[in-house]
Formats: sequence, structure tokens, C-alpha cells
Amino acid sequence: MSTTEDSKKMAKPKAPRKKAAAACKTTARRKTAARKKAPEKPQSVLIVGAGFAGLGMAIRLKQAGIEDFIILERGNAVGGTWRDNQYPGAACDIPSNLYSYSFAPNPNWSRSFSGSEEILDYVHHLVAEFGLEKHIRFEQNVAELRFDETKGIWTATTDKDVVFTGRAAVMAQGPLANCSFPAITGIEDFKGKKIHSARWDHDYDFSGKNVAVVGTGASGIQIIPELVKVAKHVKVFQRTPGWVMPRPDFSTPEWNKLLFRKVPASQQAMRELLYWSHESMALAVIWNSPLTRIAERIGKWHLRRQVKDRWLRRQLTPDFTIGCKRVLVSNDYYPALQKDNAKLITWPIARISEEGIRTVEGIEHQVDCIVFATGFDVSHSGTPFPVLGRGGRVMGDDWKGGAQAYKSINVSGYPNLFLTFGPNSGPGHNSALVYMESQLEYALKGIRKIVGEDLKVLDVREDAQQRFNKGIQKRLAKTNWNSGCKSWYLTEDGFNATMYPGFATQYAAQMSEFKEEDYQTA
Amino acid sequence: MASIDLDKMLAKIKSTQWALSDIDWDAPGAELITEEQWPKLKEFMADLMWIEHVGARAFAALAKKAPTDTLREIYSYFHAEEQRHANAEMALMRRWGMLEGDEIPEPNVNLRIIIEWLDRFADEMPVYVLGTVVPMLEIALDGALCTFLLETVKDPVCHQAFEKINDDESRHLGVGFTVMEMQGRSASYIKMVQMMARVMDPRLILGIASYMPLLNKMRDNVIAMGLPEEKLYKAMQKFERIGGRTEEGRRNPWFQLIKQHGRWVTNRSNKVYHVPVDALVKITGMVPRKALPAVPSWVKELTYEPTATR
Repeated sequence: MSTTEDSKKMAKPKAPRKKAAAACKTTARRKTAARKKAPEKPQSVLIVGAGFAGLGMAIRLKQAGIEDFIILERGNAVGGTWRDNQYPGAACDIPSNLYSYSFAPNPNWSRSFSGSEEILDYVHHLVAEFGLEKHIRFEQNVAELRFDETKGIWTATTDKDVVFTGRAAVMAQGPLANCSFPAITGIEDFKGKKIHSARWDHDYDFSGKNVAVVGTGASGIQIIPELVKVAKHVKVFQRTPGWVMPRPDFSTPEWNKLLFRKVPASQQAMRELLYWSHESMALAVIWNSPLTRIAERIGKWHLRRQVKDRWLRRQLTPDFTIGCKRVLVSNDYYPALQKDNAKLITWPIARISEEGIRTVEGIEHQVDCIVFATGFDVSHSGTPFPVLGRGGRVMGDDWKGGAQAYKSINVSGYPNLFLTFGPNSGPGHNSALVYMESQLEYALKGIRKIVGEDLKVLDVREDAQQRFNKGIQKRLAKTNWNSGCKSWYLTEDGFNATMYPGFATQYAAQMSEFKEEDYQTA
Repeated sequence: MASIDLDKMLAKIKSTQWALSDIDWDAPGAELITEEQWPKLKEFMADLMWIEHVGARAFAALAKKAPTDTLREIYSYFHAEEQRHANAEMALMRRWGMLEGDEIPEPNVNLRIIIEWLDRFADEMPVYVLGTVVPMLEIALDGALCTFLLETVKDPVCHQAFEKINDDESRHLGVGFTVMEMQGRSASYIKMVQMMARVMDPRLILGIASYMPLLNKMRDNVIAMGLPEEKLYKAMQKFERIGGRTEEGRRNPWFQLIKQHGRWVTNRSNKVYHVPVDALVKITGMVPRKALPAVPSWVKELTYEPTATR
């Protein structure tokens, strides 16, 4: 909970961040020497991942009086996606007052859309404010999660064979945690520098360099304007143009911060306003409606206003219904592309060579560095590490035809396990953290039941899960995501295991009720 | 059924890519261009390059309208491949000393009008209009001109480049005819009604008015180069032969229209067609270049340089 005192701490974001980061590293050194034998008494809860989801879960557990939990983090610092995505220009495309936890408001956001550094500061603040450090085990990369039905215990084994146990487990490793270079022919031949947007090399000096950027999604359009400012020349390789909407980004005036500090209800009111304005966007983004046409007109107006050349405008005009892929927001992407030292290339890439990128029009575009803003390895049918449930069943096998869960959070056959951002929980129009809060509350109800009633097994019924998914897929069929364009939301076969087909309010309603009859207990 | 598997074709296209840097543009053989050939060849190459470039733009329009993802991707590749051909032909012109500095050869007025039309209206045209016209242009102009070029020019680098270009073109035609057949599979009557509605579209009429003189103008250029016009006609008849080899192909009303037009073009005694169209060629020839609008920026994408740092 944020008090005026907390607010004062947040007013100087730099200091706590450094402090927290340093603390994280110290903790890492202290805690990595964990014993290789499982502790005799299991924790109440094992949390995998110290990003927004894992830390949020930890806060809610603490607030509920559950203190015996640990967070296993593969890195040596907290922050997850915001720790990894520190490329120049990285920012959230949801307003900060909505992209933060309602149970830990920050009155001092410097802008309406904050950059990744400030968001990471907020994450560090959460750790410090709620005393989470002692619960985090850094550099513990979970390699397997296995359920022992007779004992009702989850065992996490790390890649260093360190073992942790818990009565319940929360998979909060995040859907956007893994990345790799794309499978473009010849990528290994390139002799210059290769950088992935999610693993930025802050030591590489772009000044005076010819740079290629592959990918024009959410990360690409943020990186490009920054690179154009420093690099000698930037070539942007685009496969599919996305819908780019204007970004109402303003710096927050001091009086506003003061108001939020002094009258927390005013910030809550702002959050409500932002929440409902984003909810209304669902009508344009999720379903094909007259509002979809209006949203597309705004996108086209933004393009026409910023790009005068007809051919360039054509190259940047999307050919899919808005919302089918992630909607992008930027005020400086289009102008950056038109700078003298920038060029948009829409020819298909034939291969990568030693010197650069060869496109199908026969030309080799020679560069010093290639930045891959090609997104993340999103698994629609697997898990990041083997998860073994009742009778040794493997979740990845159960999900071969596409990931399925009950209300996105429980999977039948895997008792006492809670997923954050599990199947069909993705928002297309509202803050991920709004969805996250509903998931955390739901998981908390389940965990309380397991701990409070001393249950060994709390397992969602197979029929309940099937019934739920039938309904979800039926609803998804009517959405823009399933309207024909290819996106990371869908599997190769077009199965949508990613998105939630409705308003955030509907999702919250879905998660608000814990139907005991849908569960089997032992 | 002569149709090809478009998914396999896309895989084949992706696996057979080549770049300008695969060819040694400074290899010996440029001296085999005779002094007599040089000026005519310069004009010929400029026309050829522009036809490729115009073809590229037509494929770009097709990519926007393609009915399936596979076809959309194929057309995106063809768009770039036609551009590659134009780039390669510019590189040949440079090799033969036909370019001064960074100069891009001037397109003739008929091509300029086509460029303008494509820029303004091509994206609005239904896929099957361009899908039928493009194979005709490819087979008649591209095909005939390339054959002639290889018969006349002895430079081995030219042969090396055109071997690659012709391989690409044969795939373009294969897809082109398959798409024409796909169009013919639907009920003819409905297609005919739809087509008539399209023909009434003033933008299309403008396109037809640009396309007709272009063919006649090219015929004149071909004759000026010393190519017997029968060769051009033979190539155009190939369109009729391949396009009409299946029931589906013949049922495509656009095929019937373009085929009929091809017959008019190749029949010099058809005064009803040739007198007004030749007159159009003359009239367009008198249009001062300054009266034409500025070339669209896609034209500036052409380059003879195999590598680019900017």
C-alpha cells in the first residue's frame, strides 16, 4: 500500500533502483549456495519467476498472512520482462496509472506512458516496500516441476540440481520471457554485431554505424526512433506493417503528482477513467464492429498526417483488421522512418550474408549491426520446463493440440498448481496487470483453501475444464484475432490459446468466483 | 488440370533466390557489343527494364488483393523479383556504358502513363484483372524481348543474367496461368457479370486506354530493333495456347478478353483496332514530358549496385 511516505520514496526513482539492484546482487550471492537436498518442511507456496506476476503473487500472499513461500528466479535481478527489455526507447504502451498494481499505486509516474527504466524502478520499489528480498532465490533456473500425489507436494528441481518443495506452486515465469534470433538463412554467417531487442547490449556504440533493424512490432517501433538519432544510417526491414495509433504521452506536472500523493482517491479515479476508456476499446479491437472502422480511420489519419509520400504510406498501410495483431502506439516511428539517415525496406529477406541482409530484389544491404526486434518465443503448446502432474502426466504432452486450462489458471491433472498468464488470459485492449490482479486473487483463494483445509489435492475437474474451453473457443471464433491474419496469438494451425475473448471486466467476473464444485479435493 | 501446387511453388521460390552480387559484372565480354548494336540496345534495354519495373508494381498490387496467404506471399516475392530483373538489366546497361553516373534511363511516354495509372489505380483493381493482364505482358513483351536479346547479344554476362531472369519468369508464368484457371473455376456467368461491372469502371477504362498503345508502341520498338514482329506475335499466341489449355482457363472471361485483344494486336490487317490505337501511340508520343506528373517514389528504388550501405 502506498502511503505519503512511500510516495516520497518513489519521488526519487533512481536511488531505490540502484539500491534494489545492488541488493538483488548481494542476495544472489548469498542465496545461490542453496542446499542440494530438499528442505524437510515444504514451503506453502513455490513461485517461479520474479517479474510482475511472481512479485505480485508474493505481495498478495504476504498481505493474506502467508509468509512461507519462496520465489525462484533464473536471473540475478528482479523485473522479468522489464529487466530484460531495456533497449533504447523501451516503454509500456498502456498508461502507467493502469500498468501498475492497484494495491501498490505510484503517484510519481513521470509520464503518462513511462519508460522501461521507470517501470523497473517501480518493480524494485515493490520488492523493497513489501520486504520480498528474503523470499527470492536468484539464479535458480527451474528445470522441472513435479507433483507428488501421495504427499501433495510440488518439487522444483533447478538446472543445478537444487531442489525446492511447496504445497502449492505458481508458474509466473511469464509468456514473454524467452527470446532467440529468428531462423533466417545465413544468420550465423553474419560477421557484424547481432543484438536482440530483449537482450540489449548497452556497451555497443551505434554512433557512426550502419544498422539494420529486423521487425516492426511493438519493440521495433520503439527502438527505431532512438537508433535514428545516433546511428549513421538505419535500414528497417518490415514484413507486415502494423496499425500504429497516436500516443497521448505527456509528462506529469508536479501538481498532479502532489495531488495523487495527497489525495490517493484522485489517482484511483484516474485509474478508473483509464480502465473504462480501455474497456471501450475492446469494442473496436476484439470484435469487428463499427468502432473497428473508426479505430482504423484514426490509424489511417495518423499515417496520412505523418507520411506525405504515397508509396511509403502504401508500404506502411496494414492489410488486416485492426486488433487482429497487437495494436501499436507511437508518435515518433513514422517521422523517424522519413529521416535522411533512415530507410524502410519492404522487400522480403532472402538471406543474411557475411556483410548484411540480402533481399529478394537482389541487393545486399551491408550493415555493421543487425538489431532483431522479432519478439519472443511464445509457446502455445508447451511449457518452458517439463511440468509433471498426477500419475507422471506431462503438461506439454497434454497441450500438444494447443494449450488449455480452466479459467486460464488451473489445468486438470496438475493439482495445486496456478498459472499466471496461462492459456486464454491475454488482453488485447487493457492493462495486463488488471488481468494479473484477478489471477492473483483467484490463486490466493485456491492457496488459502489448500493451506487452510490442509488439502493434498485441489484439482480442477476435466469436464469443467473442457466445458470452459468449449465456451472460450466458441467466443474466440467471433473475434478479430481469429479473422485470418497470422500473429503470435495463434498456433501454426490457427488455434488461439493466447487471448481472452472479452472485456477485462468479464475476465475479472470469471475469476471472482471460485466454484468448488468444479474441483476435486483430497 | 494444369494447375501447380502453390505451396510447393512458394517453397521453390524461396529456395532459388539469387542476388546481383552472384554475377561478376566486370567479367570480360562487354566488348562483344558492337558499335552498331549499342544505341538501339540502349533504348531496348531501357524499355525492357521499365517493363520489368512496371510488372513489379503490378505484382505489388496483386499482393494486396491476393485471395490466399500463399498467393499473397508469392506475389510479394514476384514484386521483388521483377525489381531484381530491372536492377540486373540496369547493371547490364552500366556494364555496357549506357548509364551516365547514377542516371536511371528515362521511360517512354507510354510507360510513364502506365506508371501513373498503376500508381493511382492498380491497388483498386480486382486481382483477376491484373492477374490476367500481367501474364500477357510477361509472355509477350518480357518473353519475346528476352529471347531476342539472347539471340542478338553475345556477351556471356548477359546470358548469365538472363538465364536467372528466365528461370524466375517461368515461375511467374506458371503461377499466372494457375491463377487464371482458378478464376475460371467459378461460375462463368457470375464472373462475366462481375467483369462487365468492372469494365464499366472508369479507372479500368483508363488502364485499358494506356495498355493498348503500350503494346503497339512496343511492337514498333521491337521492329526498330530488327526483331521480326512475327516473333512477338508468336509469343502472344503462346498466351492463348497455354492459358486456354484447360477448361477452367478457357472459362475465365478475362482470359477470353485478353486473348481476343491479343488476336487484334497480332492481326495487322485489323484496321478497326490498329488505326485508332496507332493514333493513340502518336498522340501520346507528342505529350511533353514536362506535362506528366512527377514519377512516384517507388521508381527511385531502382539501382544497379549489387550492394547498398544507404
